[in-house]
Formats: sequence, C-alpha cells, structure tokens
Amino acid sequence: MNEPHQGEFRITSEHDIVMARKVVRDAATALGFGITDVTRIVTAASELTRNIYHYAKSGVMHWRSLNQDASVGLELTFEDSGPGIADLEKAMEMGFSTGKGLGMGLPGAKRLMDELVIESTVGKGTTVVVRKWLKK
Amino acid sequence: MALESISVIKLRDLLLVTVPPDPDDETISALQERVLQAMALYEARGLVLDISTVQTLDSFFARTVAETVQMVALMGGRTVLAGMCASVAVTATQLGLTVGNALTALDVDRALDLLNAAPSGARRV
Repeated sequence: MNEPHQGEFRITSEHDIVMARKVVRDAATALGFGITDVTRIVTAASELTRNIYHYAKSGVMHWRSLNQDASVGLELTFEDSGPGIADLEKAMEMGFSTGKGLGMGLPGAKRLMDELVIESTVGKGTTVVVRKWLKK
Repeated sequence: MALESISVIKLRDLLLVTVPPDPDDETISALQERVLQAMALYEARGLVLDISTVQTLDSFFARTVAETVQMVALMGGRTVLAGMCASVAVTATQLGLTVGNALTALDVDRALDLLNAAPSGARRV
C-alpha cells in the first residue's frame, strides 16, 4: 500500500458518467472490495456524478484509498461550482428533487456507502464526500 | 458506447434486447425508442430485456426501464427482465429502485417460457 492510490476525474459530459463508473470500479476492485460492494460503490458514484452533470454541468471526482486503524477504505469526493443546495435536509430525503431526477441520488448514495458528508453553499457549489470501508 | 451496439431481435412474436454492460444515458434512451418502434413494426406481444451483463443499474437506468415497461404495456405487450445478477439486485433494492410492472426471470430461456406460457395474468413482482 505504498504506491499512491488516488486520482481525479473531470466530469464535463454525459458520457463521463460511464467513464467515472469505470474509474471507480477499477479503484474499488484493486483495493479488494467484493463484487457486491464494488457494485454499491459504482452505483453511488453514478448517482453523484449524474448530479454534477445535471445540476452543475461540470465538476471533479477525486478518489483515494484510506488506511486508518488497520482498516482499508475508498473515499470519493465530488466537487462542483454549481448552484449549490438551498435545503440540505430536504435534499437528503428520498424522493425529493428540484430537477428532473427521481430524488434518489443523495439518499441512495448514503444508503449504499458507509459515510456521506455534504457541504453546499448556494451560488458557490457543492462537495459530497463518500467512504466505504473494506469489511474484514 | 455506440448506439449501433443495441440490437432489437425479433423472435416469432416477441422482441429480445440485450442491454450492453455499461450503457450511458443516451444509449438507454435510444434503447427505449428502438424497442417501441419495433413493438409497432413487428406487432410484438412481448419484450425480453436481457440484463445479464449489466453491472450498474442506477436510478436513471431503472426509471427508463420502468417507463419502457409501462409504454410496452400500453401497446399491449408484456416485458420480462431477465438475468439480473445478484450484486445488482442487492444494490438496486438498497437504493430503493423498482422496475415498474416488469415480470422477472433468472435467464432468457425462462423469460421466453414465461411469455409463451402466460399470455395473461402472469405473476407480477
């Protein structure tokens, strides 16, 4: 685990949603996640990447491996300079959407991952950090 | 993903579509359009969506599938989703996704049996 396990991926087009999934799939598989967890992580990444594309048009996904107290994990950060989210509590509710979505992106990603932290300022942008830990 | 990679195959009075492993949104939308055109063109009475190679079923994909099932139903057809792999089923359920009134089957063979054996009143999931 000495080599750097991190990277970033820019999201600027709809097709980048698929490309981001590939990047995340490779990273999660390399860390040793099983197929079900890989699918959970990739699906969460797909939802969050699509949020960026739909609401902010462009943004960046960073990924890095975590090594903490002998636990291994994967952290994904989704950053955009889009419109921001006015009501974070509402945005985390299942079925709530201000756009054309299903309102499943954020709450769904939270369910699929172990941790989700979101920061948003209206007019400035949104950052979503999600983590998944490898079960021993 | 080239749109040409989706083919709608006519099998007697049914349609068979193999969904590519990692389709983008555009491909999924195109798939819906092609299926509906083929339903009308071939006067099909059923659709089998083979999703056995699909690795990621997210909310957009699920919504489009649910819509397609509904549209096919309005055109008098029944849809069977065939071959969802276990990891996708687990993830879709946790995410809270549903696929509308689609029938489901473990694989394409069973999906064809289901459509041939049950012209009406088949079990729904």
